Amino acid sequence: MMRFASPSALKAQRTKLETRAAKVKREILICAGTGCLAGGSADVAEVFRTELKAAGMKIGVRMVIKETGCHGFCEQGPLVILMPEKIFYQKVKPSHVKKIVESTLKNGEVIERLLYKNPDTGERVETYDRIDFYAKQHRLVLRNIGRIDPQSIDDYIAAGGYAALPRALKMKPEKVIDEVAKSGLRGRGGGGFPTGRKWATCRKVEVHPRYVICNADEGDPGAFMDRSICEGDPHAVLEGMIICAHAVGSPKGYIYVREEYPLARQRLGIAIEQARTAGLLGENILGSGFDFDIEINRGGGAFVCGESSALMKSVAGEVGEPRAKYIHSVVKGLYDKPTVLNNVETFACVPYILDRGAKVFAAVGTKKSTGTKAFSLVGKVKNTGLVEVPMGISLREIIFGVGGGIIGDRPFKAVQTGGPSGGCLPESALDLPVDFDTLTDAGSMMGSGGMIVMDDRTCMVDVARYFVNFLVEESCGKCTPCREGLKQLLFILERICGGTGEPGDIERIDRLSSVLTDGSLCALGSSAANPVISTLKYFRDEYEAHIADRRCPGGVCKALITYSINDKCTGCTACVKVCAFDAISGKKKSRHKIHADKCTRCGACIYVCPDEAIEVH
Amino acid sequence: MGLISFSINGTAVSGAEGETVLTVARRAGIHIPTLCHHEAVEPSGACRLCMVEITHKDWKGWKGLVTACLYPIEHGLEVSTDNEAVRECRRNVLDLLLARCPNAPAIRDLAAEYGLKQTTLTVDEDPTNCILCGLCTRVCAEMGHHAISTVGRGVSKKIGLPLDEPAESCVGCAVCARICPTDAITFREDGKTRRIWGQNFELLRCSECGASHITRAQAEFICEREGMTIEDFEKCDACRSRETALAFSRMVQW
Amino acid sequence: MVEKEMAVQLKRLYVTPGKCIGCRTCELSCTFVHSTEVGRLRRSRVKVHDTGNETFIPVLCLQCEVAACVRACPVGALVRNETTGAIDVDEERCVRCLSCVVACPFGNMLHDEQAAMVVKCDVCGGNPACAMFCPTKALVYR
Repeated sequence: MMRFASPSALKAQRTKLETRAAKVKREILICAGTGCLAGGSADVAEVFRTELKAAGMKIGVRMVIKETGCHGFCEQGPLVILMPEKIFYQKVKPSHVKKIVESTLKNGEVIERLLYKNPDTGERVETYDRIDFYAKQHRLVLRNIGRIDPQSIDDYIAAGGYAALPRALKMKPEKVIDEVAKSGLRGRGGGGFPTGRKWATCRKVEVHPRYVICNADEGDPGAFMDRSICEGDPHAVLEGMIICAHAVGSPKGYIYVREEYPLARQRLGIAIEQARTAGLLGENILGSGFDFDIEINRGGGAFVCGESSALMKSVAGEVGEPRAKYIHSVVKGLYDKPTVLNNVETFACVPYILDRGAKVFAAVGTKKSTGTKAFSLVGKVKNTGLVEVPMGISLREIIFGVGGGIIGDRPFKAVQTGGPSGGCLPESALDLPVDFDTLTDAGSMMGSGGMIVMDDRTCMVDVARYFVNFLVEESCGKCTPCREGLKQLLFILERICGGTGEPGDIERIDRLSSVLTDGSLCALGSSAANPVISTLKYFRDEYEAHIADRRCPGGVCKALITYSINDKCTGCTACVKVCAFDAISGKKKSRHKIHADKCTRCGACIYVCPDEAIEVH
Repeated sequence: MGLISFSINGTAVSGAEGETVLTVARRAGIHIPTLCHHEAVEPSGACRLCMVEITHKDWKGWKGLVTACLYPIEHGLEVSTDNEAVRECRRNVLDLLLARCPNAPAIRDLAAEYGLKQTTLTVDEDPTNCILCGLCTRVCAEMGHHAISTVGRGVSKKIGLPLDEPAESCVGCAVCARICPTDAITFREDGKTRRIWGQNFELLRCSECGASHITRAQAEFICEREGMTIEDFEKCDACRSRETALAFSRMVQW
Repeated sequence: MVEKEMAVQLKRLYVTPGKCIGCRTCELSCTFVHSTEVGRLRRSRVKVHDTGNETFIPVLCLQCEVAACVRACPVGALVRNETTGAIDVDEERCVRCLSCVVACPFGNMLHDEQAAMVVKCDVCGGNPACAMFCPTKALVYR
């Protein structure tokens, strides 16, 4: 791998790589994101190599195999995409590979049963751009993921990477900040603070050295956007950080990667080494005289370390406890020096802005929320996965358009966004545009991009209880409202879910929400009540049903429900066999019976019943 | 030196750059209750009792609650230390503390000032007097010992020793016990020995009268820090006062 | 402003032991002046010793220029008062480690356990009660 002593050397290499890429007639793209890896995609790749060799087909110039980052359609993984046809094979097993090589690669025939089946029309769809999940997205920050080999800097360069950096280095730092400000880029980690303004403020503080930190702690349950970017396009993050460092005048950067993301840490580490060798990190970057290097910090295994001041403490080797941020981190951050901290996705947007220009970026999205946003769409939605959509798109379009609607076509109940700091929005909010401000006004927040879809079989009180339980374990414990308040809030919610809710509980919840929001030391505490406040706002009747009637409308809270078998039962004994508590009796071909005294409402019987004969009361 | 002028409860006050709302308020004789604050250590903002409401004519009507012990003063700041929003927040904080420490007199007294005779929430099954203000750990670090620290996270946080074993660096000075606002740290002494944090410390006794103030370990720590010898600590203050008198009386007679 | 301060000589509490008759009025006045509640007497910062042969010696803080107490204090709670020249205890900063009590070679730092504070002579802020009430002028402030 070569070292680029100047922008022209980099440009020459890019031209060379583009010429080489043009010679490639066939690409076999195998998703190697964490999800597909868990599904066995590494084995699929291995078998591809073996089979191609056995078939006498040479891998190299005209045909390449790439293990890429997350394609996004995690629900259908392991995914294999064949270019140039864009043939999209899903749920690929190693046993399918030989047939793919024979039929598709050699004979140009598509294997029907490996194609995606459109659930509405029943038709098989051959190419991914005609699958709604992909067609309705606008992949900007995720544009390289799934197309390039994240462990190859050459792939990144050939795809247009490190074109923004030489351009930025030629500009005065203030001009770079102007460009970022003009793009309207706002922090993608949840705060939504204007990035250009943050960089400008840091630059104004006449204290040195200044630091650049990338927050890759991604703690929200159900969120994996940052993970996918780090795994699938790590150089984009690095390039964004280097441009930031030039803009604010910093010699040293850190990427704080949560301990639970070993693959992301590994890929980032490889990318850093490659960038150093290529002269894109370290001393005299591209011969410009600018020095900047990046180190990876491993997370402490705590959600609170995603909070910027706690993160900086953790980087400095101290216990990750937040501090009151009356003096902002851009003024006094890491080691009390001016520090810019931005999220992974924010940094990944920066090269795009500097390369194509602020106007192009701002042309997408809305006036106050420009660009796109990556979401991890999960829950009771048909097409779970990683999606990127323009800001301003409605919740309905994401959930029903890209997401394909609710599993089993059950009624939609609520969508939770923003993780433990966010809230739940009901059906009436489905047409709200997704951006930084609108969802906040409605009582939730867009957050870092976690989006959990819920159907009618969800108990909203249980959802609130889940998030409060999460935060009770993750609170740092320094300040009274968060440590004690969340504990008391959990007592009350558990009582309500357990059927022993008391009059006065909702008033207690209101008081606790108030002290959490107003009295907490950091944003973990001050946003901790949001799930409770939003579910009380939109689903108060559920709380009241639990407390006054001892009833769980969602059919979830085990203490408040019973199961029974109706006359749809065909007597197949599947439930009898699966019940671990011997709570079901029944002979073949006759209606079975559930014994309430033994039944724990674990739900195993509902899962196996082929006739939907088990009812929840 | 530029003085920063602002107002507290409508009264004009001023202070130097870098001072906090609490410092200026105290200087002006305006009372703001605190628990985790002590001048000997840096403010922490942990107890949340010193909440005050701030606003500013440039903030377009925005108001917010902040801790007075940490908020740096600025020109034109308008501070309210005792309005309804502040009192409600403090009351809720005390409600939480009362649930955690129902037997701590200091908390009960403070809670009573805000109209709470008992907590409206669930009392801990095994209550402690410790409000986790962290004063003990901070002052122990300030004294140079670092013998105790906050251990654990969230609801399992407590004040503890390294790996729950008596700390080598503890000198038994008992400053942690003396500074605790709720008397949550106890120690025993019988004139010869002081027992604290799981260790027995020999008390340094006056060679003349046997009275003791500090432990031998603490005296040795001071000796090492200040370049003194343990003999400098041989006598207690009363006996040294008498010795001084005797020395003067010899001078007078001569 | 600094020069003006230096021109004005700081007053000091002078002790003439030969004049002391052992009446302990100084101890009483010191105690009363520093107590804030009736019936809650704080300790006297001046101590009168009977050294035999009808000699009485009042001992009180010498406000040392290079003070052992200041040196011993780990938190900087002992500070020179620029107006009176005395070393004062910053009660809000003091943590009662008692390092100063054991460090003072003359025993002039006292641990007032009832008041839960360390105390010393502060020349009553510039108008020492002991000198004011001493009948024989064994203690004068000039």
